[in-house]
Amino acid sequence: MSASTALSLEEVRSHLASMVGDEHANLRGDGIHAAPANILQIAEVLRFAHKNDLSVAPAGGGTKAGWGNRVPARIRLSTKRLTSLIEHSWQDMTCTVEAGSTWATMQAELARHSQMVALDPLWPDRATVGGIAAVNDSGALRLKYGGLRDLILGMTLVLADGTIARTGGKVVKNVAGYDLHKLMTGSFGTLGVIAEVNFRLHPMEEHAGTWSATASDVAQFESPLRALLDSQIAPSCVQVRVKREKCAVDIRIAAVPHCLDEQADRLEKVFESFHLAVSTEEVWQARQELFDRDYAVILKVSLLPAEICSILSELQQQAVSDRLDIHAVAQANGLVTVAFGAATDEVIASVEYLRTRARNSGGSVVALQMPDELRGRLDVWNCDFNALPLMREIKRRFDTKQILNPGRFVGNI
Amino acid sequence: MLSASHIAELRAAVGEDGLITGRSQLQTYECDGLTNFRALPGAVVLPRSAAEVQAVVRVCARHKIPFVSRGAGTGLSGGALPAEGGVVISLARMNRILEVDIANRYVIVEPGVINAHVTQRVAPDGYFYAPDPSSQSVCTIGGNVAENSGGAHCLKYGFTVTHTLALDVVLPNGDLVTLGSRALDAPGYDLTGVFVGSEGTLGVATRITLRIVKQPEVVQTLLAAFHSPQAAGQTVSDIIAAGMLPSALEIMDTLSIEAAEAAVHAHYPMCGGLLLVELDGPSTEVEILMHEVRAISQKNGATEIRLAQSDEERMLVWKGRKAAFAAMGRISPNYIVQDGVIPRTALPRVLAEIAGMAADVNLRVANVFHAGDGNLHPLVLYDRAIEGQEEIALDLSYRILHLCVDNGGSITGEHGVGKEKQEALGYMFAEPDLATMQLVRCAFDPENIANPDKIFPRPRLCADRPGPYRPHPLETAGVAEIF
Ligand SMILES: Cc1cc2nc3c(=O)[nH]c(=O)nc-3n(C[C@H](O)[C@H](O)[C@H](O)COP(=O)(O)OP(=O)(O)OC[C@H]3O[C@@H](n4cnc5c(N)ncnc54)[C@H](O)[C@@H]3O)c2cc1C
Repeated sequence: MSASTALSLEEVRSHLASMVGDEHANLRGDGIHAAPANILQIAEVLRFAHKNDLSVAPAGGGTKAGWGNRVPARIRLSTKRLTSLIEHSWQDMTCTVEAGSTWATMQAELARHSQMVALDPLWPDRATVGGIAAVNDSGALRLKYGGLRDLILGMTLVLADGTIARTGGKVVKNVAGYDLHKLMTGSFGTLGVIAEVNFRLHPMEEHAGTWSATASDVAQFESPLRALLDSQIAPSCVQVRVKREKCAVDIRIAAVPHCLDEQADRLEKVFESFHLAVSTEEVWQARQELFDRDYAVILKVSLLPAEICSILSELQQQAVSDRLDIHAVAQANGLVTVAFGAATDEVIASVEYLRTRARNSGGSVVALQMPDELRGRLDVWNCDFNALPLMREIKRRFDTKQILNPGRFVGNI
Repeated sequence: MLSASHIAELRAAVGEDGLITGRSQLQTYECDGLTNFRALPGAVVLPRSAAEVQAVVRVCARHKIPFVSRGAGTGLSGGALPAEGGVVISLARMNRILEVDIANRYVIVEPGVINAHVTQRVAPDGYFYAPDPSSQSVCTIGGNVAENSGGAHCLKYGFTVTHTLALDVVLPNGDLVTLGSRALDAPGYDLTGVFVGSEGTLGVATRITLRIVKQPEVVQTLLAAFHSPQAAGQTVSDIIAAGMLPSALEIMDTLSIEAAEAAVHAHYPMCGGLLLVELDGPSTEVEILMHEVRAISQKNGATEIRLAQSDEERMLVWKGRKAAFAAMGRISPNYIVQDGVIPRTALPRVLAEIAGMAADVNLRVANVFHAGDGNLHPLVLYDRAIEGQEEIALDLSYRILHLCVDNGGSITGEHGVGKEKQEALGYMFAEPDLATMQLVRCAFDPENIANPDKIFPRPRLCADRPGPYRPHPLETAGVAEIF
């Protein structure tokens, strides 16, 4: 018999209230929402949950709570009270921030010294540093600056049993010990609660421009994109937006003013058979707009960069023949967000097709969003790889009682 | 330690010509680049394929024999130091470049491929493999992956981990797994990110997928001479503060300049602190920014500024810099290479302290460092022939590491912890931090046979149940101290 049956929900609440304060421990549905004030309280809550076999879902802004397998949790542990920028060593271009800070709040403070964490995640106004790290989100800037693996220097974590641990450091170069922050990044809250993150910073892009071109079939972009990425133009972002019967490519370049003109000239040449026009910064919201609209199914697709156009073109053709409402935003690094308007059998077939195509070149397709009726028919992660037993073993060692987001991750970890 | 039957099993795994057991031959494998630590292995195996590596590791797993992977043996922290009487797995014969995909910008190699050979292979297509340790003409990709090696150009391009997409790894139980993928963000834990830098303690990498990068349009290298490394350091801070990200920012002090000059005649200006700035990118941009670098250098009192005029001259500048460690042999009978990191802004203060600490014990410390990322390489010069001096030098080098930690830095920026800095790791991390790292170790290697007794300050067993709860110093210090 598990110990949790011994405690009623109200008893759990009152225990948590004694740790985090009465107004920060609330009964919601069949779980308790608890918001610790600091890392020590996070540790206290987890120690309590661990002892009593209570499942815990760490939560930031809740923007991506639906990603991954559905898991009921007795305690929803919110980081919303941990919001400070603890340190901004602007001359060293590093910072330490608490996990509950929203991305935009952090960036606004860093901007006072014209610096930034060079990443453009979804919903910066609401999404928190911890949540973004936990799902390893990234946007168009990743092409130039790399992903969170390259930007996170260290972390302070709380493990399932309440152990507080630090990993990495605050300096940009450091190979001392194992990089647990890399393990935590993208682990969907299954290994521990991220309490603080140390970032490497970059100067903000002061002078930049965005150019766009359109076409009907995305395959038309294949050769200019290849030429662009093989050229001496150094774009900070390149994305392709694809709908059923039209598509566009956007390129953002940042450089010192005089060079920007020169780079733009070069870009014109690469896209000489298109009408390349100056565009607005808003096009870079395209990925987020997919989530903000009412699309039924949204996928994160990972492809080899050189295959994006051909695979998306196939998708366009399917959409035409099956009359599907599709919309995709692809980064030039191979990460593509694909959205479908409905959750029909044709869409499921289309997802399976994408999965086969992606897998053949080492890629993957994760279903981030889908209606409830599709869960069960469409696998979220669809992974079967030989490192899964090792991942399970890591989970077992980190979370002996399997209380953190149990079942949410790959292979029901 | 190895019985005749163990040897027979190893022979069956790699064949007669893949096995070394003769004492004199084994001695070649006694140490790596950190030569004051030595241990004789019981056998060295030279597998030719992942399957052979698996067969060897299975023998080790079956009999709980410790094994140590080895690339070129250039490591500077004792990572490839054998376990006494155990097995050394040399990856030297697994040295093929398996696949080159320019359009998708990756290369797949076996672990024994030499770093510089990757760039040589893709250079005709206009690409290069970015991490460039000074030892790149001999060290292997497997060793680079294990150490998460860096190099002068990592300031802009990142370290080995930035450029590693996927790995095939033989786990310590003999299973072969694939971590990561050619395409980004393979679902699951980022075990590629964890494996890179794990110093051979989590398994043997047998196949490595690396990112390659487009060569920049132009590269310019500037030398600026200053009266002191501190003035050079200030220039570095100012360059970064101006929003530039040079591809390299290196500083050498007088002793290092002297040594490098003696070794390769790089024609460096003699000065107290030599700054080497390399910018790369589109030609107009490099022109404009180099102009700014000159102005900043002048403002900080540069006595001479010189732009390398040709590729040959540039190569010579780098040859001198890359020879700096080895060149120390010309000005001192013995030396210890250290590898600490500090926040860039602490450079002037820490350099002054190191000089003071060295003076206190009457030793010389040469400094050559990756200034852009605060990675110091203090070289402690001494003479083993003088009774007691080696101990004093070692003690000084460890105190320098503590100084780095005290200043918010790290005990190693690229050489790894290995055998050399185990105690220092305990200075940098608290017990719960180390215990958490140990969870990873135990998931990969519950029997503790992969490069055992490295990295961690003291031997640990992988108990199935966690030990008693240990509060982090953060907790005992109380909340007030944290915020
Ligand atoms: C003159 C000189 C200059 C140097 N300059 C730099 C520098 O600028 N930057 C830098 O980062 N380093 C530098 N180094 C250190 C060293 O060259 C690097 O650490 C290098 O990556 C080691 O590669 P190796 O092939 O010699 O590995 P080894 O020394 O043979 O092994 C290093 C570690 O890797 C492990 N290992 C090797 N192969 C594998 C494998 N296939 N799978 C798992 N583990 C494996 C070993 O067990 C060991 O722990 C320098 C060394 C010298 C001698």
